[in-house]
Amino acid sequence: MSPPPAMPITETTRLPAPPDSKINRDILRVMEGTSPGYWFLVALAVIGAHVAGGVWAYQVYAGLGIGGYTHPVFWGVYIVTFVFWVGIAHAGTLISAILYLFRAKWRNAINRSAEAMTVFAVLTAAQFLGIHVGRMWKSYFILPYPNQRGLWVNFKSPLMWDTFAISTYGTISIVFFYIGLIPDIAIARDRSTGIRKLIYTALALGWQGTSIQWKSHTRSVLHLSGLATPLVLSVHSVVSWDFAMSIVPGWHATIFAPYFVAGAIFSGFAMVLTVMIPVRRIYKLEAYITDYHFENMARFLLLTSMIVGYSYGTEYFIAWYSGVEPEATAFWYRAFGPYWLSTWIMIVCNCVIPMVFWYPPARTHIPTLFIVSTFINIGMWFERYVIIITSLSREYDPAVWGVYTPTLPELIILAGSFCFFAMFFLLFLKAFPVIAIAEVKELAIHEKAHGGAH
Amino acid sequence: MTDFDRRDFLKLVGVSAGAAAAAGCADHVESLIPYVVQPEEVTPGNAVIYASTCTECPAACGLHVRTRESRPIKLEGNPEHPVNRGKLCGRAQASVGRTYSPDRFKGPVARNEAGELEPISWDDAVARVADALRADPGKGHVLGGDPGPTAGDLVDRFVSATGLGGRTVYEPLAHEALREASRQVFGVASEPIFDLSDAHLIIDFGAEFLEDGPSTVEHAAQWAAARDVAKKEHGGARTVYVGSRLSLTASSSDEWLTAKPGTEGILALALAGVASRNGGGSLPAGVSAPSVESAAEIADVDAEAIERIGKALGHGHAVALPPAPAASSRRAVATNAAVLILNQVVGAVGTALRVPPAPTGSQPSYRETLALIEKMKSGGVNVLLVHDSNPVYSLPKAAGFEAALENVGLVVSFATSADETAAAADLILPDHAPMESWGDRAPRPGARSVVQPTFRPLYDTRALGDTLLDVGRAIGEATAARLPTGSFRSVLEEAWSDTDWRKALSEGGVFGELESADTSGGDLGRLEFAAPALSDKGEYTLLPFATGLLHDGRGANLPWLQEIPDPVTHVAWDSWAEVSLATAEKLGVEIGDLIEIQGSAEPIKVPVFPRGGIRDDVVAVPLGQGHTVGTFASREVQGLPGTARGVNVADALPPLVDEGGGRAWLTEKVALTATGEHRRLPLLQFSDNKRKRELGEVIDLADLAGNGHGDGHGDGHGEAKADAHGDEHAKADDHGSHGDGHGDGHGGGHDDHGGHEILEDFDPADDAADEALAAAYPDELSVKASPYRWGLTVDLDRCTGCSSCIVACYVENNIPMVGEDETRRVRQMAWLRIDRFVGEGEVDYPLQLNRGDYHPRPSAEKLGDTDIRNSPMMCQQCGAAPCEPVCPVIATYHNEEGLNAMIYNRCIGTRYCANNCPYKVRRFNYFDNQITKWPAPMELGLNPDVTVRGQGVMEKCNFCVQRVQTARQIAKNEGREILDGEVQTACQQTCPTDAIGFGNLRDDQSEVSKRADDPRSYYALQVLNTRPGVTYLKKVRRGKIEG
Repeated sequence: MSPPPAMPITETTRLPAPPDSKINRDILRVMEGTSPGYWFLVALAVIGAHVAGGVWAYQVYAGLGIGGYTHPVFWGVYIVTFVFWVGIAHAGTLISAILYLFRAKWRNAINRSAEAMTVFAVLTAAQFLGIHVGRMWKSYFILPYPNQRGLWVNFKSPLMWDTFAISTYGTISIVFFYIGLIPDIAIARDRSTGIRKLIYTALALGWQGTSIQWKSHTRSVLHLSGLATPLVLSVHSVVSWDFAMSIVPGWHATIFAPYFVAGAIFSGFAMVLTVMIPVRRIYKLEAYITDYHFENMARFLLLTSMIVGYSYGTEYFIAWYSGVEPEATAFWYRAFGPYWLSTWIMIVCNCVIPMVFWYPPARTHIPTLFIVSTFINIGMWFERYVIIITSLSREYDPAVWGVYTPTLPELIILAGSFCFFAMFFLLFLKAFPVIAIAEVKELAIHEKAHGGAH
Repeated sequence: MTDFDRRDFLKLVGVSAGAAAAAGCADHVESLIPYVVQPEEVTPGNAVIYASTCTECPAACGLHVRTRESRPIKLEGNPEHPVNRGKLCGRAQASVGRTYSPDRFKGPVARNEAGELEPISWDDAVARVADALRADPGKGHVLGGDPGPTAGDLVDRFVSATGLGGRTVYEPLAHEALREASRQVFGVASEPIFDLSDAHLIIDFGAEFLEDGPSTVEHAAQWAAARDVAKKEHGGARTVYVGSRLSLTASSSDEWLTAKPGTEGILALALAGVASRNGGGSLPAGVSAPSVESAAEIADVDAEAIERIGKALGHGHAVALPPAPAASSRRAVATNAAVLILNQVVGAVGTALRVPPAPTGSQPSYRETLALIEKMKSGGVNVLLVHDSNPVYSLPKAAGFEAALENVGLVVSFATSADETAAAADLILPDHAPMESWGDRAPRPGARSVVQPTFRPLYDTRALGDTLLDVGRAIGEATAARLPTGSFRSVLEEAWSDTDWRKALSEGGVFGELESADTSGGDLGRLEFAAPALSDKGEYTLLPFATGLLHDGRGANLPWLQEIPDPVTHVAWDSWAEVSLATAEKLGVEIGDLIEIQGSAEPIKVPVFPRGGIRDDVVAVPLGQGHTVGTFASREVQGLPGTARGVNVADALPPLVDEGGGRAWLTEKVALTATGEHRRLPLLQFSDNKRKRELGEVIDLADLAGNGHGDGHGDGHGEAKADAHGDEHAKADDHGSHGDGHGDGHGGGHDDHGGHEILEDFDPADDAADEALAAAYPDELSVKASPYRWGLTVDLDRCTGCSSCIVACYVENNIPMVGEDETRRVRQMAWLRIDRFVGEGEVDYPLQLNRGDYHPRPSAEKLGDTDIRNSPMMCQQCGAAPCEPVCPVIATYHNEEGLNAMIYNRCIGTRYCANNCPYKVRRFNYFDNQITKWPAPMELGLNPDVTVRGQGVMEKCNFCVQRVQTARQIAKNEGREILDGEVQTACQQTCPTDAIGFGNLRDDQSEVSKRADDPRSYYALQVLNTRPGVTYLKKVRRGKIEG
């Protein structure tokens, strides 16, 4: 490659700005201006997150007893919600990394928001590790830091693996998200003024859109995709081992890793839909997020719904086929015991309702998509509730079975986690381009060249 | 700057760092202050043990009070004492807490004009009593329980010296009817003393001798010895229980005759008749046995059973125990007499039943108590001195005692802690707590037991005897002259002057042979043997009963006795009413629904507890609850002072007496009505259906006798295991007896388990951690295996479920009480619990839950079925523990002696270990239970050897590792290893039936190894291959009595 021609630096900066494209305008418009409705939502989210934070602070002061724990059920809504958010965090990386590697075109309109959701979901999930433990103020013990006392952590513990899985995944997600953002931040930089300009300038890392930069960028994304791809599969596998490595009937199953990964992708996609449908409508992004994307997302939901449904079936089949009485009993009570409602919510939301997507028009019918994806979110939260709570409440010694019911503080913190997540997402909408402009442009150019055929 | 060199710099740095550090801690200085004058016998850190006597019940068990730095912290049984032989019941274990009760009076208090208590000086207090008595001593009266023989004598002397109107001894649950029956049958008005150790057949007519009998610890030990399958022929003694509910004693019986309440006497006579015809002695003159058929009809039991058991009785070596006081009907004397006659017929008198000479001094009398109330009502009492009892609580409301107190000018209470009577008193002159008192007890003629203080009184209290002496001296010189000189202690030493006092103090008393009286002087003329008449208010017989932990409610303010659930129902912190399932259905109620019980006195409202093990025509309510005063006895601890905890069943009863003037409890036929209200019971066991899992196993006597070690338990099973044993555990041979028979004996058991995969057998002395070590360093033995692998055995054939082990565990290990509300959420901290299962259970899937989903119905109990399995469950110290690998911070780990050690400081509270524990023995501190729930000065009673756990930390049983450490230090000082039996866990030490063994499994000759090597041994949930350090021995099912 020959060096660029010698040219004074002032010449470079004085290059005429390229004409603003429609794509730029449409997408960056999301970031401009704020309506009272937006501020209302932000206020709601911030207040909600703070209320939950207050409850948490009280919990740290008073003790975990303000939750609904009972003797055999030592894990409750916090772990349920933790697993739920880790699951949500799967869509982003899946869409960005795996679908990138597979060159699935339809990912382009949704990957940015999905990546953002990943980062925020991991952040939300990570809160629950602290919320859940009995001595939050000692939770740094779980990190293998050198200390004079010669204390070390237990690498045999799935919770240890969890710590590493989540922190690795969080790191990769943030890096991935940021690298993908750089070209778009540069566009925002070019259009903004004042303090925002300063921040975007810093964040854009001097992006000029030169071919060398583009080349490095594409390489980075490709390599990061390669790195992130196994993580998509491993993170929720590791989370599933929190359960599968135990001897609790209902947890101790080899199917858990693929089962959890499928469930995570399922819930992640559902969350992307639940979030993006209102965004698309409010910010009039119909031209970018099209039926084509929804069609593909719906198909994906259909596929993962069936995998999840198959896993449920397998669990029950093995519980019966193994002839292990505690296992069979745990599963019987899962479906017909005091938690039957949770179980049937889970089955209906995750396995029955998504079947509507067999009917092709449903896949592009936006209200249907929104409703179904919301049900899937509910169903997937209940899936984790069912797995964790019902299994713990029916273990080996029937004298100490018990029934767990969540308490108000736990539900406030659960609601607070949604506020926490929403707060980040709402701020994200105004801070960064919600659709990857560069990628959409690339696709548009590509399509123009190839006659726009899908 | 030339003169500022490196040394100066370092000095400056050192000084400023030191100053900064000093400033940092200046605001919070804690100093360890040594004794200024070191007491001679106290070495800080070492326990000092005093021999004393338990004053909780008339059995008067010997105590060894363990004190640390001059504070009593734990009670153990005195091994030399003839009554309890080193064992204690749950109430005795909890009684150390009386010393540190938050409700103790800190000095004398008097009620002022406004009705509030205010402190006064002892001199003023004594003067007030003396002034009141001096005016009209004849209108003074002493009412109280049993303060011991010397103190009792002193009270009598005080009464006569001051010319008081009289002294009434009142005990809510006195054996008055038995004493009267003994007078009529044997001519000696004393309580017979039973010895069950050589019996072949024990018939309990409701004595509840394993939970709240005349001498529970003693009888439980004798019972266990009498039915030791290894030592006694034919599986040892059989037990028959006669009664209308499946009590704790019934649960440990071989046969249960579900007789109507009050018909025990008729049954006893009918049995005596059958026994007499089948080789027994003859009935006394003038007594004729009812026919078997008529007795069967009156008692509503099977005639065949009467015939069969009667024949068995005819073979002799039998003993019959009369009903407990709480089961006394208006014909209690006849009932007791009938049981004593049965003993005569079977030849037990003089051997298993011995009649001591009648006691001297005042004896409890309910009739006199009622008479006193009448006298008070009519204004005949001006000064009432109440000691060692709580009549306002324990007398029926209908007797009108509290109202009668209005007519008494000065009510003086000697209560140590606040109670209902003290709350109604004008003047409170607090007595010392038992651990601070001098005194004595007479467990039985021939044995004298001393009560000695173990530390200085915590507060400005005074012994009852000293207060009375002071009052007498203050009344006047004439009175003083009639009283002994000196203090109560000198009176006591005087009373013991015929003994070696110092020796008595060190040994706990003087224990001679039991004296027997002549039993030939009976006169049965006036007794009528018939079913008692009951009031006619409804169709259900109201059966009040005393539980082992709460008895008559005197210990209701000891939080341990509230916190630890009733061993039969697993209800804690509340009252309940037991009704049959049919009755519950008829009333349309389920567990926790409040029913109203209406007899001839006040109605009471109680949450209902439906169960299979009670007659349809009976409603049973435990005694002991319903207090309105006391931090723990009432709901004060929950912020509801003055609110009763549960109900006092005495309130529902009219004040009636039996033929001899004793208190009659069983007098009511009551009406039950559902109120529509509901209160969730604090219930600590979910289900009694063990679903055929390997918990609480039994073995039929025939199987045990017929098969011995080798065969019978699933053939292929046994062989395969033996192979695995041989191949994989070559070193098992080192452990001798584990080689063959042992391997086959346990595990297989039932056909129900036949479907399991073949399990790897293991030697409990081996340890997974050692194996891992050996695998990691195959050629190196630089890491020497520990000589110890601590193990525990639990003999389910001996366990009665009495729960004294749980109380001992709580006291020893500073286990926090969580209170009623947290108990409702099942967040108790017990390191040891007793699972109670009924039969093998059913793998029945449709599960019907009661409201609140915390209890399934129906219970599997059946009338007449005693296949109850009490399975104490503590940490199994697994060799391959599921809890250990899941802890991310190694807060729980395997130590080299096989214990799953807990590092509380390291625990961050992920609670994964507890989830992964199949035995569910781990407990989590959801709140800062330790500090917030223990009102001052209870913290003084904490065991300094055991860490106090804080909020957010997991805890569990650790085999009393602090005791192991103490023994290790002693052994190390003496240059030897820890000896077998040197370490006793708290649960083992107190177990009245010696069901728990503890020791080193790596020592073949240790007691625990021998116990574990038994054809009855199995491991709980062995299918999980956790390789527990706890070996259970199956309960033996002996079958019904053979005629």
